[in-house]
Amino acid sequence: MTQFLPSFPLHTTPLISFAFILLLGFIAGELVKYTRFLPKIFGYIAIGFLIGPDGLNIVTHSLLVNSKIFIDISLGIILFELGRHLDFSWLRYDRALLPTSITESGLTFVLVFLVLHFFGLSWLQAALGGTIAIATSPAVVMTVAYDLASVGPVTRRTLILTSLNNLFALVIFSFLLPISNAHNLGILNIFMHIFYRLFGSMILVICLLILMKLLARLTGKQKESQFILFLGIVLLTIGIASILNLSTLLTLFILGVAARNFDHEHLLMEVNFGWLARIFFILLFVITGVYLKLGTVSNIIWIALTLIFIRLIAKITGLFFVGKYSRLTKKQSLAISFALTPMAGVAIGMTTMLTDFNPNFGTQLNQIISFVIALLTIIGPVVTQLAFLKTGEAYPMQTEGRYNE
Amino acid sequence: MNKLSPFKKNSALTLGVELELQLVNLHNFDLTMESEDFLRRLTEIPHPGELKPEITKSMIELNSSIHFSFPSLIDELYILKNVLSNEAKKTHIGICGGGTHPFQKWKQQRIFPTERFAHVSELYGYLAKQFTVFGQHIHIACPDGDDALYLCHAMAHYLPHFIALSAASPFQQSVDTSFDCSRLAAVSAFPLSGTPPWVLTWEKFEEYFEKMIRLQIIDSMKDFYWDIRPKPEFGTVELRICDTPLTVKKAAELAAYAQALCYWLLETRPVLSRDIYLTYMINKFRAARYGLNAIIVEPGKPQMPLAENILKTCETLKPYAEKLESASALLSIEAATLANTNGAHWLREQYNQSKSFSDVVRQQVELWTK
Repeated sequence: MTQFLPSFPLHTTPLISFAFILLLGFIAGELVKYTRFLPKIFGYIAIGFLIGPDGLNIVTHSLLVNSKIFIDISLGIILFELGRHLDFSWLRYDRALLPTSITESGLTFVLVFLVLHFFGLSWLQAALGGTIAIATSPAVVMTVAYDLASVGPVTRRTLILTSLNNLFALVIFSFLLPISNAHNLGILNIFMHIFYRLFGSMILVICLLILMKLLARLTGKQKESQFILFLGIVLLTIGIASILNLSTLLTLFILGVAARNFDHEHLLMEVNFGWLARIFFILLFVITGVYLKLGTVSNIIWIALTLIFIRLIAKITGLFFVGKYSRLTKKQSLAISFALTPMAGVAIGMTTMLTDFNPNFGTQLNQIISFVIALLTIIGPVVTQLAFLKTGEAYPMQTEGRYNE
Repeated sequence: MNKLSPFKKNSALTLGVELELQLVNLHNFDLTMESEDFLRRLTEIPHPGELKPEITKSMIELNSSIHFSFPSLIDELYILKNVLSNEAKKTHIGICGGGTHPFQKWKQQRIFPTERFAHVSELYGYLAKQFTVFGQHIHIACPDGDDALYLCHAMAHYLPHFIALSAASPFQQSVDTSFDCSRLAAVSAFPLSGTPPWVLTWEKFEEYFEKMIRLQIIDSMKDFYWDIRPKPEFGTVELRICDTPLTVKKAAELAAYAQALCYWLLETRPVLSRDIYLTYMINKFRAARYGLNAIIVEPGKPQMPLAENILKTCETLKPYAEKLESASALLSIEAATLANTNGAHWLREQYNQSKSFSDVVRQQVELWTK
């Protein structure tokens, strides 16, 4: 009689999870718009936190499992885009740009390392903490810049410095990760692991770049076709890197760098992921909010606040002392330093990778870094937005209808 | 009340140019709104001439110094071009010539923050942003105001030459306009564009100017967007009809052509007739539409290909160009006319090869930087 009815209890599908997260994020983002000073990202993260375990706790395990694929795609697009911001020709002509990045990244690493070591973490844990702290959140910087229609030297420099500090973080992380499991792996295995992850990624990138250029040659330089090509290649990279146990983040980043710098025949176009990226970014930020761990023990709060403070000092120092050789004004240096504040997706990715790789390694480090990420995920977008607004590069009135173009 | 500056008298037929240039993002090759920071950087580098902001933030204006001849002008333009290109590389933007950007969206442009530009934007609304087009202005010094006005009208016959020779704006808003020079359409939208009034003495011009001030139509000479106008504070006649060419070499050659023409006109004094304006607008349109393939018309004469008219003029100007040390420039003008090539042809060729407007801009940047 009732065969036509669905079987009970009802089961959620990945599609429902997708729609649920997207719509919640969308509503929160629109509500936040009315504050006029908070970026939309803040709304996405806040709603995620609200439905997460530390909030109303209405997120089911299946929703989180189903959303993993979306997170991977979001991070993939971001890392690929980020890699495309790293243009070697700029580094060649502005000789202070790379030293600026090395200084701000190096200082961040050293200062965070020292603080964590001072608070009792082992040198390896402290080094991993320092490494994760180097990276600025590319998703936040890119989304804020896009939402504000921010264009200009400060925005562009923030993006290339984000690109560089993510590169440093990902490479150092690839070295430190196997060492964190040294007693199980042995020295030879550690080296083989590092070698495999770094060179494996590079070889895969070479193959994918050849494929990409070949297809681009066939399809020509139409925006629509290259959009599909880029997206297809990003998805393929995520898939193959996972199968081969390579770092998807690092591989996609290098692919982006290669697509920017080794396309001498100019076969590839500048593709704007636009609407599609926005959908994935909303998902990413809502899920980031779900994972935020704000409840913590009091002694960690002070360590975390110290880390955030010295991280900012490191970035300001790098920009002021070396950035001046790029002939930046003081206002520009300060704005870039603050704009580099956010930490989110990539840092979470690295922390998760660390826990997955060696679940027994550094519970305290995990707690500290998670709390720092939580704070910087919340404060970061606001600070970045303020930095872009203060330089006069942001022009929020121009954002209407931009995705249609 | 705003007063018209007295006309500065010049004894020599000096020349100078102003070039409006495009600032380009090197990743997507769209216009980039960075003139404020770029001009700040350029103030820290010693250079000849002047570099100024323009109406929107993706434009800058390069002004040469005053020159007696073509060779010194071209030398200075090369120096300026190198200064700009080197500085642009350091901040990772591109610079290029061309009368329009092929695919910029005018609504995305931002007005450069000065009192005058804010006023223009307030007055003209969307036209101000649509004015993100790039022209070359040529200044030729005149003995006095009467001569400047004489040249304004005597040059009317030759302005289509400059349109066709400099034309480098075939694309606008991602469309091939079918014009060689589509920039002029953006200028024509302004109510005070067109040609100067039929006034032949400086005294009468002062009366006209005061009348326009009293009627509150203008505040200064800058409000006239004419194709050619006297510039009393410089003591020059200013041709404003050209697209910014794709190279500084072409810009200097066009200036030398104008200088030789003015020299010849002032020496031989052909009689002016108001009838020139019967055909001026159609010739201007045809030169913009068809470039060097245009057919022009003159009252009382058979129609004639514009290219033929240019070649004939070059022949007439040769002895004058030699005296002005610009014979080589005249030869280049002649050669381009014979080869039937201008910037628009080159731009269309690039587009036909790649079918990509961003590729066209990339090649424009490369050509400018060469």
